[in-house]
Amino acid sequence: MPDAQTLTLISPELLLSIFGLLILLVDVIWREKSQSALPWLAILGFALALAATLYIWGSNISLFAGMYMVDMFSLFFKVVASLAGILITLVSIDYLRQRTPYRGEFFAIFTFSILAMMLVASSASLLMIYLSIEFLSYTSYLLTGFLREDKKSNEAAIKYFLYGAVTSAVMLYGLSLLYGVTGSLNLTDIAAAFSATVDSTVRMIALVSTMLVLAGLGFKISLVPFHQWAPDAYEGAPTPVTAFLSVGPKAVGFAALLRVALTALPQWVLPAPPPAPVKEIPLVLAVVSIITMTLGNLIALRQTNVKRLLAYSSIAQAGYMLIGVVAVNLTGNSPFSGLNGILIYLFAYLFTNLGAFICVIAIENATGIVEIPEYAGLVKRAPLVAALFVIFFLSLAGIPPTVGFIGKFFVFGAALREGWLYLAAIGVINSVISVFYYFAVVRQAFFEAPKDATPIRLAPLVTLSLVVSAALVLAFAIYPQPLLNLAAWSMGMVK
Amino acid sequence: MDLIVFYLFATLAVIAALGVVALRNPVHAALCLAVVFISLAALYVLLSAPFVAAAQVMIYAGAILILFVFVIMLLSPGVDQGAGALKWQRPLAAVFGLALAVELILVLASAVLPAARGQYTPERLAQIGDVQAIGALLFTDFLLPFEITSLLLLVAMVGVIVLAKKRVRS
Amino acid sequence: MDLLNNLFVNLYDWLAGALHALAAGLNLVKDAENAIVAAVMSLVVIVVLLLWLVLMVLVLIWLERKNAARIQDRVGPNRVGPFGLLQPVADTIKMFIKEDIVPTNADRLVHTLAPIVVAAPAVLAFAVIPWGKGMFPVDLNIGVLWVVAVGSIGTIGIFMAGYGSNNKYSLLGGMRAVAQMVSYEVPQVLTIVAIVLMTGSLSLNKIVDAQSGWGGMQWYIFAFPVGPIAFIVYYLSALAEVNRTPFDIPEGESEIVAGHHTEYSGMKWGLFYVGEYFNFFLVCTIAVTLFFGGWQGPLLPPYVWFLIKVYALILLGMWIRMTWPRFRVDQLMGFAWKTLVPIALVNIILAALATPILKAIGLI
Repeated sequence: MPDAQTLTLISPELLLSIFGLLILLVDVIWREKSQSALPWLAILGFALALAATLYIWGSNISLFAGMYMVDMFSLFFKVVASLAGILITLVSIDYLRQRTPYRGEFFAIFTFSILAMMLVASSASLLMIYLSIEFLSYTSYLLTGFLREDKKSNEAAIKYFLYGAVTSAVMLYGLSLLYGVTGSLNLTDIAAAFSATVDSTVRMIALVSTMLVLAGLGFKISLVPFHQWAPDAYEGAPTPVTAFLSVGPKAVGFAALLRVALTALPQWVLPAPPPAPVKEIPLVLAVVSIITMTLGNLIALRQTNVKRLLAYSSIAQAGYMLIGVVAVNLTGNSPFSGLNGILIYLFAYLFTNLGAFICVIAIENATGIVEIPEYAGLVKRAPLVAALFVIFFLSLAGIPPTVGFIGKFFVFGAALREGWLYLAAIGVINSVISVFYYFAVVRQAFFEAPKDATPIRLAPLVTLSLVVSAALVLAFAIYPQPLLNLAAWSMGMVK
Repeated sequence: MDLIVFYLFATLAVIAALGVVALRNPVHAALCLAVVFISLAALYVLLSAPFVAAAQVMIYAGAILILFVFVIMLLSPGVDQGAGALKWQRPLAAVFGLALAVELILVLASAVLPAARGQYTPERLAQIGDVQAIGALLFTDFLLPFEITSLLLLVAMVGVIVLAKKRVRS
Repeated sequence: MDLLNNLFVNLYDWLAGALHALAAGLNLVKDAENAIVAAVMSLVVIVVLLLWLVLMVLVLIWLERKNAARIQDRVGPNRVGPFGLLQPVADTIKMFIKEDIVPTNADRLVHTLAPIVVAAPAVLAFAVIPWGKGMFPVDLNIGVLWVVAVGSIGTIGIFMAGYGSNNKYSLLGGMRAVAQMVSYEVPQVLTIVAIVLMTGSLSLNKIVDAQSGWGGMQWYIFAFPVGPIAFIVYYLSALAEVNRTPFDIPEGESEIVAGHHTEYSGMKWGLFYVGEYFNFFLVCTIAVTLFFGGWQGPLLPPYVWFLIKVYALILLGMWIRMTWPRFRVDQLMGFAWKTLVPIALVNIILAALATPILKAIGLI
């Protein structure tokens, strides 16, 4: 039996488990009567988990024999997870009412998927990382295919599942190699075992197994060449789930990647003093990053379905974020450590991308429209949504004064600091390309004549969450200090 | 003696595993999978982990394989004719797969895995009992993963029922 | 008395001693000598066990037919040997000389292997049964799990039979059987967990030893309320696990001819038949070991006690078979998942809570 301190430190996770089970139970016992209360129960759970996270803010301790780290890094992701949970639940209430009778199960599974996000962020052992990533994957597959009557939703779930199953098997093989080489599941012990040996073949095994692990994590993050599931899954999934898929798994995929890279493999990842050559793993990641952002952006140019467009855009965004991992360097007191860049970028991306998807949901809910040509004249039909679309797209493209700019600034800054000039240059070029397709949507919305000029009525909850995310996107851009502090604190884990 | 048994079952496992991928008839592939599972169980016994071996047979050969078989029979896919896939996929997959295999074999064969031995030596296990050791670990060091697994299975079960059950509520 | 109690153990020791004496004449290294003697002795045990099981099956078949006749107001086999005792022997000879037919479009290999995969695990499981005091072929510390694990391989065999025969009745019967066996394995294992909780060991020998109080009468069946509940659930699911009436829908002859062994003939069919009786005998021996103190009992030699108890359970099973009609498929699955599994789960919680109390008041 864990002691009271342990229970306090894992209280966000405990709260989410309790609320998930509670939703299932309430749904079973009261059925129809409880339907409208269930999402609020989920939101209450997320809010309490957020409060609990803030309560234990500042902890830095490892639990369960070193398997579980409650540190600022993980707490940062827990904040991200609970905020995403609240926003997505808010927008899915109306969306689901028209589409599925199994809303209780939806909110329960969704609560568990947020729980899984928190677990990934805190995992500090290979076993926990694998288990919690699988947990997140299963819940994501289920949510993707939740609209049983919808063929596209089914197709999305199957594609997502098949890709996920294969990549997680590959990742598991990589993890088993790491375990075989070092004899430990614990990330810090693995680092110790690696630094204790000078055998050159160990270096090869570390490299090979990291590549295999990267397959699994790359799938979650949707890096090329593990990205093919993304467009279909994004298009077919219920749109709130698409919103979740675009931020949740991606965020914690980065969390796991950073945790493994910085805790278990620092000597293979962190740059050595200047005369030493660039290490292999950052080099591979740099190549992947270039391919990911370029491919994502180029294909996005040709999309006509707004969900697919955002899918390719999110693939490209993953490429930008990966620059931060490539350029990570924790020595010195530079504000551009790479790590803080990713964290700020992820935080910015969370609200921006969620906001963009909430815009899509708002319109889809009212009219069923997801094709970009049909967005024509949106500004006349739903001026608020059209205006906010602009803000979110500005932020996604990384144009000031939005929070997306701050994220890109720190990520590209880190690349410049570490001498990855061409990487930063390609990143900037890609950002310019992305403006084309983002503003193709805006052009439709603002400068084309509407075919049907009836105003679109927005559901109040959706409007609320739209305004909240837009406000956050702008607020953090104007006053980014909390964000910078937050990211700086979170780096305490490796310093 | 142990070595003979090891090579016997290891060979069997590898051959059967090849059968799983190579055989065209899905039922035959599934049966080969059963042989793989049982051979692995035998290897676990050699590693003084009889509990894991029994669990392996019970869960994989007894339950999971049966589920596979059920799915195969319900879908009745017939014998795979190799159609459907793009023409260039098979050779390409063979090339890449072979490359990966060569790479892994080279790397793994060149290195003596320097892993530290854990605290559970065969002698120690014989003394405390392997079931007892697993039980104690599950409820102490591995408590968290253990509990998470139970949640994971619950969620998977609920989800599968939602996705697969007959329409009851409108 | 002591001689009678330890008859078979003494025989074993004597034989091993004689072998050692023989081997000593070969002037081998001590290790090699021990290895050879151990190998020969295991071979002896295996052969004796197999012969014993075959004998038991012959007795069971005769008993089943006589009983059925009795209950249905008939005479039953009475021509071959006294009271028809040799009837099963005659049947066996008949099976051996019958033609072995493989259907034209059958999956030959799968079809041929299936009866072996069904019958072999049943025999393997007997390896851990304590037949009497000190009379166990192997003492595995995971004995109970071994039985369950090996038993689950048999399921694959039945599926192979259903699939390999290329006959719709076979396939239907095979799938029914597999669904049923997988479902009923769950409550069966869960009830065993309750017993394991009370004993603190998975070894069948330890479980028997734990029931040695009260002059060999402190059986788990008396460990109220956990023991009786566990026994009822175990026995019902065991009957279903071995596909006996009222749980015999996999081979319900009025619906699907003979289920998975429709297309089998000769000795292959015989193996299925024998396999079924092996399994029936097995679940009764396990039930005795888990709930009725195994070979424990006053006065009579241990192995006699063991057989008496086993046959009592066997007769109970035959009685149930003759007096109950067959379940419908959905009722059958519902019974497993909606009745037995919840009861077994509650029983585990009960066992966890009750074990200290039962220990304190001396019931276990």
